[in-house]
Amino acid sequence: MTSFLIGLFLATLITALFTMRLYRLILWYSLNSLSLALLAITIGYNIDDNTMIISGIFTLILKAMLIPYILKRVSLKFGLSRQISPNVAVHYSIILIPALLVFTFYLAEPITNMIASNTNFVAISISALFLSLLLMIEHKNIAPKIIGFLMIENALFLLETTATSGMPMLIELGIFLDLLMVIVIINLLFKQEEEVA
Amino acid sequence: MIYLLVLPAVIMLILSFWSVNRSKYILPITSLLILFPSIKLFFLPKPYSIWGDYLVADDLSAYIMLVSSVVAIGVTLAVSTLGLHVKISDASYSRFYRFFAIFWIGLTLSIMANNMGIYWIGLETATLSTVYMIKTNSTPLAKKEAWNYMIVGAIGISLILFGIILIYASAKPILGEEAMIFSSLLEHAKEIKSPFLFEIGFAITSLGMFIKMGFFPMNLWLANIERASFYPVAALFSGILESAVIIGFFRFSKIAVAINPLHVFLFVFIYTVLTIFIVSFLIYRAKDFMRLFSLSGVEHMAIIALFWASGGVFAALLHFGAHAFLKPALFLSTGILESKGKYKIAGALKGYSGIKGKAFYFLTTLFLLAIISLPPSPMFFSELYGFGAMVEIAKKHQHLLLMIGAIVTLLVLLSIIFYKFVEVYQSMKYEGKEEARVVYGNEVLALVIFALSLVLLMTPWSFEFLRAVS
Repeated sequence: MTSFLIGLFLATLITALFTMRLYRLILWYSLNSLSLALLAITIGYNIDDNTMIISGIFTLILKAMLIPYILKRVSLKFGLSRQISPNVAVHYSIILIPALLVFTFYLAEPITNMIASNTNFVAISISALFLSLLLMIEHKNIAPKIIGFLMIENALFLLETTATSGMPMLIELGIFLDLLMVIVIINLLFKQEEEVA
Repeated sequence: MIYLLVLPAVIMLILSFWSVNRSKYILPITSLLILFPSIKLFFLPKPYSIWGDYLVADDLSAYIMLVSSVVAIGVTLAVSTLGLHVKISDASYSRFYRFFAIFWIGLTLSIMANNMGIYWIGLETATLSTVYMIKTNSTPLAKKEAWNYMIVGAIGISLILFGIILIYASAKPILGEEAMIFSSLLEHAKEIKSPFLFEIGFAITSLGMFIKMGFFPMNLWLANIERASFYPVAALFSGILESAVIIGFFRFSKIAVAINPLHVFLFVFIYTVLTIFIVSFLIYRAKDFMRLFSLSGVEHMAIIALFWASGGVFAALLHFGAHAFLKPALFLSTGILESKGKYKIAGALKGYSGIKGKAFYFLTTLFLLAIISLPPSPMFFSELYGFGAMVEIAKKHQHLLLMIGAIVTLLVLLSIIFYKFVEVYQSMKYEGKEEARVVYGNEVLALVIFALSLVLLMTPWSFEFLRAVS
């Protein structure tokens, strides 16, 4: 089950890199977060860690439902461009993404040897980090950059879930709170731009 | 204690919903309240628990807290006349205070944090609130730079979290959840079973911090942002935000040094020398005050990191304190120097009359000359001690000649910066036309506070305290 979910996590991220429509990108982000939340709940259930299960539930509510909903509302309210063509052409991305994945697995090898459990997951989370950075770099529009940043957060959550079996609850809550603040700031930035216009 | 530390910021947050015309005169007074808990921290037995293991005061955090508090007071004082120098609406003014308050709370958490997670949460909160402070300037450039800050700042902060997770993963097998606590990590550093994992985590965390401080290869992003935003934002960046970032570097590197001092030194040495090399030429080409001071800030933070990694803790802390007082003072002066036309360096120091004008002229000159380490500036002494520490570390590892070569290179680069600042000062004083300029009392008072703080930093009591920290 965990292998399937992690595969789904990576697949949604890779698909997001090829997406050219904003709402579809928000959907991929939501699915990416959903697979992450289910993964955290599954791992938490397997190792009997209530903190991780709670984090998973928070991820489900916040990242898979609330944030995509707010992002869609913001994009509708402020009339953001729905066409988001990446700067990197698709045929180059097809070569670049697997190369990045292989490179990350090679790069993460010494680290994964030191972590007792879920070794491949650590490599996948690091590659997810690089792929999210690619998502931020390959777009000129601000909305995909924001989603790229949110996907970095997902990659980091995956890393902490797999490499450390979860952080202390207070820290997890703080990170979620900061994520909410990101959304508030984004909303405010767009709002003020509208006021100035 | 935690309530007292955040009280002025909370008052600012509440008053930001009130009429800005009244609150901007009250806030400089309420900001003084921060001095009481900041000074009290010095007299408490250390380590002093403020909030369990999460927030703990030690000598280092007490020192950085006091320095940041003085900067916050000075900036709050100068912000009250921001509207007289730049065009800002009342709503933007209120929002500026609102996010300044959140920024202040975030950084108080970061500075006092004894937990890596709390440190990160504080820093993230401060980073996000800064985005909006940049945006209070309604120009298209500020809009672009606010988004840039959001994106680059987020990458920097994500790298810090990435490194923290790896550090936590390396120490969790022996410490459990205590692996998040700086003091526990330091105590058990030698027992960590996978030091390589810790070092990778440290390198990535440092990289995130270096991005936030504008080190190589992200040398220009801070300068561009500070250019685009109102001048108090730049003062807050250099005086408080960078203090919170550097205390994180101090804490992480202290643990890394306990594992392998040579690795830390080489990593920081190569990174900082490369940064200073590039920044010195960028400073040479700077054409306005804001970029000049901003890039000079990057250079000084690189020097502080280098001294710290070389074991020159006293030099690093002295340099840090001096920079934290001098740079906000210069940024606040910039707001006044540029109010009669941006980018105009020639004759910028001419036309100040009356007691306030003369005091402003004198203090700005003093700060400009102090920042380039002219004696008796604290920076002069910190550099002497810092280079001494570098020679000592080279002697230990038997590569003295190489280190002397590196120090000479650094001195050549610093002399380029010195030359640029002297040229700027001469242009400000002797070139250009004389125009009548206005300085307000609270701005001069803010500069006087910074000057007095610098004098206090040079007292034997301060030196003794800083030596005790090391």
